[in-house]
Parts: sequence; C-alpha cells; structure tokens
Amino acid sequence: MLEALRKKIQEIMPQVDGVIALRRVGKGTAPHLFLPGDDLSELALSPQFPLPTPVRIIQAKYPDKRFAVVVRGCDERQLVEMAKRRQIFLDKLTMIGVACTKEQAEYCRCEMPFPKQVDIGETVEGIPQTFLDDFLAKPREERLAFWKHAFAKCIKCYGCRNICPECFCKECVLEDNLWVTSGTVPPPFPMFHLIRAMHTVGKCVACGECERTCPADIPLTILYKLLKRDVETVFHYYAGADPNEPPLMDSTIFLADMDMLHPPRR
Amino acid sequence: MEYRNVPTICTYCGTGCGLLLEVLDGQVVGTYPDYAHPVSEGHLCIKGWNAGAFVHHPDRLTKPLFRKGNDFVEVSWDEALERVAGELKRIRDQYGPDAIGLFGSAKATNEANYLMQKLARAVIGTNNIDHCARLCHAPSVAGLAMTFGSGAMTNSIPELENSRCILVTGSNTTEGHPIIGARIMRAKERGATLIVVDPRDIQLARFADFHLRQRPGTDVAWINGMIHVILREGLENKEFIATRTENFDALWEVVKEYPPERVEQITGIPADQLAAAARAYARAESAAIVYAMGITQHTTGTDNVVSLANLAMVTGQIGRPSTGVNPLRGQNNVQGACDVGALPNVYPGYQSVTDEKVRQKFLEAWGAAPPARAGFTVTEMVDLAGVGAIRALYIMGENPLLSDPNIHHAREALERIEFLVVQDIFLSETAQFAHVVLPAASFAETSGTFTATDRRVQLVRQAIPPIGESREDWQIICEIARRLGTPAGPYGKFDYAGTAEIMDEIAALTPIYGGISHRRLEELGFLQWPCRTPDDPGTPILHTEQFTRGLGRFQPVHYRDPAELTDKEYPFILTTGRVMFHWHTGTMTRRSPKLHKEVPEGYVEINPLDAERLQIGKSERIRLVSRRGAVETKAWITRRVAPGVVFMPFHFAEAAANVLTNAALDPVAKIPEYKVCAVRIEKITEVERPEKLVAARAGAS
Repeated sequence: MLEALRKKIQEIMPQVDGVIALRRVGKGTAPHLFLPGDDLSELALSPQFPLPTPVRIIQAKYPDKRFAVVVRGCDERQLVEMAKRRQIFLDKLTMIGVACTKEQAEYCRCEMPFPKQVDIGETVEGIPQTFLDDFLAKPREERLAFWKHAFAKCIKCYGCRNICPECFCKECVLEDNLWVTSGTVPPPFPMFHLIRAMHTVGKCVACGECERTCPADIPLTILYKLLKRDVETVFHYYAGADPNEPPLMDSTIFLADMDMLHPPRR
Repeated sequence: MEYRNVPTICTYCGTGCGLLLEVLDGQVVGTYPDYAHPVSEGHLCIKGWNAGAFVHHPDRLTKPLFRKGNDFVEVSWDEALERVAGELKRIRDQYGPDAIGLFGSAKATNEANYLMQKLARAVIGTNNIDHCARLCHAPSVAGLAMTFGSGAMTNSIPELENSRCILVTGSNTTEGHPIIGARIMRAKERGATLIVVDPRDIQLARFADFHLRQRPGTDVAWINGMIHVILREGLENKEFIATRTENFDALWEVVKEYPPERVEQITGIPADQLAAAARAYARAESAAIVYAMGITQHTTGTDNVVSLANLAMVTGQIGRPSTGVNPLRGQNNVQGACDVGALPNVYPGYQSVTDEKVRQKFLEAWGAAPPARAGFTVTEMVDLAGVGAIRALYIMGENPLLSDPNIHHAREALERIEFLVVQDIFLSETAQFAHVVLPAASFAETSGTFTATDRRVQLVRQAIPPIGESREDWQIICEIARRLGTPAGPYGKFDYAGTAEIMDEIAALTPIYGGISHRRLEELGFLQWPCRTPDDPGTPILHTEQFTRGLGRFQPVHYRDPAELTDKEYPFILTTGRVMFHWHTGTMTRRSPKLHKEVPEGYVEINPLDAERLQIGKSERIRLVSRRGAVETKAWITRRVAPGVVFMPFHFAEAAANVLTNAALDPVAKIPEYKVCAVRIEKITEVERPEKLVAARAGAS
C-alpha cells in the first residue's frame, strides 16, 4: 500500500504545490508537507495521525496554493465539515483517498472505514455498532456510575479538544470560568465533557482520536458515537457526507462574524 | 514554505513525555503528542500540550544585556562574553576560585550541564556547582545512596500499571506528574490496591483503597508504624532480609516504639487503617512506592526517604518488576543534571570529589581539577553571597529569587553580590538583579539529551533556530570557557562540533553513561542508565540481583518534629506545592495564555471549618503571616486541606509562598523545609456582602 501511495503522490506532485501526508519521525509518524522534489523515502501510512488540522494550519498561511492531502474516511468527512465552516477550502485541495485495513477498522470500531473515492487500498466493510446497544441496555444507575467514574479520572489536559479537527474555535467555552470552573482537576462533572460533546454535534464524525489521546482512558468514543447516531436519527444529518449540504447548525458562521473562530482565510 | 513536526521531549516535568513540535516556516505553531513514545503513548497533560506556547513570546530575551543603574542596555555578544570572562578571571585571581559559584539547570540538557560543571571544575577550579535538585530531591539522592547505593528511581514508569499495590505519598501525581498519575489510575482499574498517604484530598485519593491523612511533617512516624505492624505480624520477607540486606537487627529496636496507636497520636492517621494499609502493601505480589516533594522537602527529608527504603526492604518489595522505591523527579532534566555532575560533591556519574583516585582521573582527562573537597550548595552559595564570601555567581536557567525559601533573605544576598551573570530565556526575578544577562535558547531551539525520572536518557531535537540573537546554552558556556583559558588534558577543550560530541565525552568519563551516544539513542529511542558499554541495552530495573552497594542497608531512624511547630501566634501549618497548570516560578507557564487562563493568580486553600471560624468568604483577599514575612492572596475554601492546614502553590511572584517558608535545612541533604511552616491568617477587609459581589460581577462583565 505504501508503495502505491508513493507512486500516486509522485503522479500528483506536478499538479500541486505540496502534499500533506504522514512521515516517519522518531519511532512513529507525524504530519508533514512534502514539496515537489522532496525525498519520499520517509513517507508513511501508519500508525494513523489525523491530518485535517495540519491542512487548516497550512491553508491558513497559504490560501492560494494548491495542496493534496492523504485522507482516510474520517479525515475526509472532517475536512468536509471544516469546509462548511470556512476552516479549509476544498477547491484548493486534492484528496488522495486511502481505505483502512480490516485491522485498522476494528481498532477504531469504524462504521465506514473508507473515503468516497478510494485511490489506495481495498475497501473493507464497516464494523457494526452493537456495542452501543449493549451499553444502552445497561440500567440507568450503572451508566451514570460508569460516566461518573470515567470523568473523575479526567486530568483536564484538553487533549480531546486539542486533537479534534472540528474544535477550531479561537475562544473555547471550556476555558470560560462561567461554564467550567477554571483551574480545578478533575473539572466539574459533567460540565466540561458534556459541553464539549454538545459543541461537536453535527460536526463529529466519531473518529475516536479524542479517546486515543486521553491519558485517563476515558471511553469517549461511546459518548461521541451515541451523539452522532442521535444526530443521524433525529435530523437525518450525516456529518461529512455531502459538502454541498449546509451544516446542521450554522451558529458557527455567526460566531465567525463575531471573530470567535479562526477567521476565514480568503 | 515548510511544514514539519519535530519529535522531542517535553520541557516541564520529569516524566519525559514525547511530543512533536509543529513547525511552520520556522515558527513553532503547535504541539502534538508522540503516539510512539514508550512512556507517554500519545498522551500529554495540559502543560505538554502547551509546551511550545512560550517559545515565541515577546518577552523572550534576544540580546545580551548589561545593567545600567536600574535599567538594562543591549550589548553585543562579544562585549558580554568578554566582560563575563574578565570579571570571573579578576575575581578568581583576587579572591580564589571558591569565591565563584555556578548554578547548573534542571531545565537544560545533559550536555549543557556537563559543560557547566566542567567550566566550574576544570577552568575556574572550584566544586561550587549545584542546581535546584537541592530544593527537590537531594534527600532522595542521599537517602537512597545510603540504603541502596544509588539515588535514583528503582523501576520504570510503564511498569507501574501492572503493580498490584501502589503506595503514593507526598506526590499529587495527577497534577505534578499527570501522565504517571494516569498510569496509577490505570493500575487501580486493573485491580491494584491504592494507598494514598497525603495531608490533602488529592485526585488520586478519590480512587484510593486507603487515604491516610497525616499531619504535615510526621512521615517517619507513619512509615515506622507500618514497619512495626509488618514485623509484629510476621509479614516481613525473611529470605530477602537474610540474603540481600544488613543491619536488620537495629530496625526493630527503633520501630518497636511506633505501635499504630502511638503513631495515631503523632500523625492523626487512625491506627486500624494504618495497620490495614501496611498489610496490603506487605502481602501484595508486587508493591511500588511512589513519592515526591511531600517526602523530601522537610528537615527530615533524608530520614523520610531512608524510612521508605526500610519499608521496601523489609517486605522485599524491590528489585522486581512493578515494585521499588520511586522518587518522581520534578524537572525534565533534574535527573540528568545530577547524573552529569552539576552537584558540589560529585563528578559526573556520582564519582565523589573527595576520592583522590577519582580526582586524579579527571585531572588527567581534563588537565585540571579542583581540590578534593566538596563545594557549596545553592542555598549555601546564596547565604555566602550575602556575607561576601561568594563574589560572583553564574546562574544558568534557574530563578532562586522565587524558588529559594525565605526569599527576602535571598534578595538581600543577591543585591550585595559583586558580579551576577544570569543566562535565561526570560528576564526572571533573578535576572533582574544581574549585572550581565545572557539570552539563551529554549528547549525548542537546542539539541542534546534529557534524562527522565526513570533514568531514561532521550534525545531533544532542535525544531527551530534560536530566537533573535539568543544562543544555545552549551555554546555560551564554551565561549566563556575559551576566553578564560581551557586546560590541556585530552578532554580539556571546549570546542565541539555539536552536542553529540559532548555526549561522547560524557560517556568516556561517566561509567553509568558509558554506552550512551546520540547515535544509539536515535536508533533505540531511549536508554536507561546504568548503561556501561556500547552494546549494553540499559537497565530498566535497579537492584535486581544485588543492591548497587552490595547489601541493602537498613537505616532505622526516629521521628523528629518539623523545625517549626504551630503555636498561639502562628496556629496554622502552611504546606506548599504545585498545581497542574503551572510550572515552578511560572516564567514559562505564566506566559502561556491557556495555562495562565486556568489559574491566573495565586491563592491559598483553607478548610471550610477554619474559614467559617475566621469569617473568611469565598475568594476573599487575606494576609498570610509567618515569622519571616507576609503575603496577600485569595482564599480558596475547600476540603482538599484538613482543618488547621493551609496550602499555597509556589508559582506566583506576587503572592510568593517562599516569602513565608522556613529556610531550616535537612542536616544531610541541605534541603529547606518547604512543606511545613507555621503561619497565621489575617483578614484584610470585611466579608463582602452577596449583593456587593453581584454588583461587582455585573460591573466586570
């Protein structure tokens, strides 16, 4: 797969100003901007690392350049939601779609482990979300105790927010003492976590990066996948599915006018 | 156009988490966790996530400065280096090398610290080199060396999550070392018994099977009480004691005087709970002790540490995976700064300066070495500066004017000194008193190695060039050394192509680092010392077959009261410590917007019962007074502290806890008693009425 990706990038490079992809660094991988003529020997595909935020950062500085980006299913859906809120620009972005392996899909418990257009890899089926039903089948007291215990472990690193490509507000309400008492660990139950969850409604594609970076092993994916399912059931809105559909809630556009978001770049 | 991520090591605590500095066109624009890092595994705390936030701060020092009256003027590097070298030379010639003192830095790399002590010893000719380890884990270095022969964390961080019992004491781990704290919570979820001995109701205490709340300063008593229970009930590990230790007979003679009932009177810990916790620790398949400043920052700091060592040895809970005595070192490189000899009594690798053979070795290697007597410690150097015995101080990356106990005294001393050079990234409280300020590069702008608390040596990679005209620490030291004249030994030069070459020199002269090189670290990711040869894989667990000193030595000690007790005039015990969101004297974290926002100012924690008795309201400004000084700060009414105890974080210059703290020293390790002093609380204003508060809040928003 990596060799196929390398070929694909070499093929696309003449048409773009750079390709945003993973590169081997140290013992792992990290986002990197490969420029025309760069050595691709350190190109990598795994372990995974979310790329939409680097796209936002690079496009913000170079709005007129054309980039390509290597995307998995979740990356693509995140980029679509970001584009709806003017955080990235799809017309200046070429996507190189990578289908996740079965192993990867199982690790992420991913419903849709592939982007719309697959350039690299073989598409595998999504993982059924039965664990959500199992969770909901538990008695209410047990579920409450489960979350109370989980959130009591929180060390307020903000990692869940920081790693999330959909968390791009310049002013974050989680840092506002009015809503979440500042400077206390753990943050008050359940405000910190539920405010964050509500603020991702209609944007969250349930990629699971928040859980992956959580030092306290809080099982955030359950919460976010349940929310995503509710959005789909109640509003028939599928985050990241269609770039031409308006965002579920467009209050963020209003916030952008108030300079609360990272400003539009063009 | 350039965008890349540079893997490096966090600059805050001693956990040694891996992080990626996100660089766009030569600017650090963000931080990501390193998912492949063996300790942090893609996790960071809030400080790690914000580790790059101060790098481009406008307050960064970018040019060398000379003091002119109450102001500073910018000068060229040549001028600054000439003046520093000239003054150091003059003072050495006039008053002798021991009139000069140098501070290494627990924030700087191993390579920079090695050069700093080499400058002191081989060029200036004094052992007056020390750093802030004195203020945190000097008792661990001394106490564990006495009992085990090696003053470092015995086991490795990742092992903790497999431990069957963890005894955490004097460490608010989830705030002080958050990623280690998370491992401890993980161990608990995997079924470990968690024992927390801490005066405060810290986050870990909520998960603990036993939370034993001792009166601050009574640690030897409860540790002896635990050993008492273990021996009385026959729970000791007889085989381990017989084959691996010595001086056991003396132990019972001491601990027999500490039945849990008496311990309860001294410490306030209920006798039955102490006994139950002792049994759980002794019987566990594997039990680890984790501790930090709450154990060491006492006049009995060394006693506390050796008592914990006694407890581990009597139960044989050491030398195996997931056991051991595990001091959590505070700073990113406090372990390394000690390892490479930024201490007044040892050369690199804990080779004693008073050992003539060792001195001869360095004399031959460098071509010069100071007389075989220990130099002065940081606290002593400041005292001696006050009386004129130390004429010049060269301080790299430390801020004693906020970190020393009784800082009024430290300030007077530094005002009096003839020549003060401070090398730092910001104009710290200490730098404001300097005659010459040298602008240094931050961790993002330098390369080298940091050694984490579990003896894990890791590469620090340069992400961007130094800001402005600032220079890397190691380069500045080399410039000064060359101007002073370097000795002629085979390792006497101060002329390196890069930091890899400095590490090669460290490896050649430091047996425990003998097999460490940048090339190997690049290949393996990390190496844990002792690592003696180029094919030595390193040592994750110490004392497995035998102790470093051969047999482990029991050092029974009796309980002594803290230096300062409460009385009618000063009825509260003040204890000090860290909060999650800030770092030490705040020079970096208070310039990181997201960290500053969490805790913008200092405060004091007061129990609701005390607050009610003294009629103190929420967030009311109050005055804390000790025998040494007074500070005004905000009251935070919380059950985290017990009645009679107040807690203050030490990060805030405007409400500096160390105006109040007691400079009484541990007789062995010379650490000041930051954790216990007596204070009283004075009201400044009347309790504000609720309607006034509402009005004030409406006005503010």
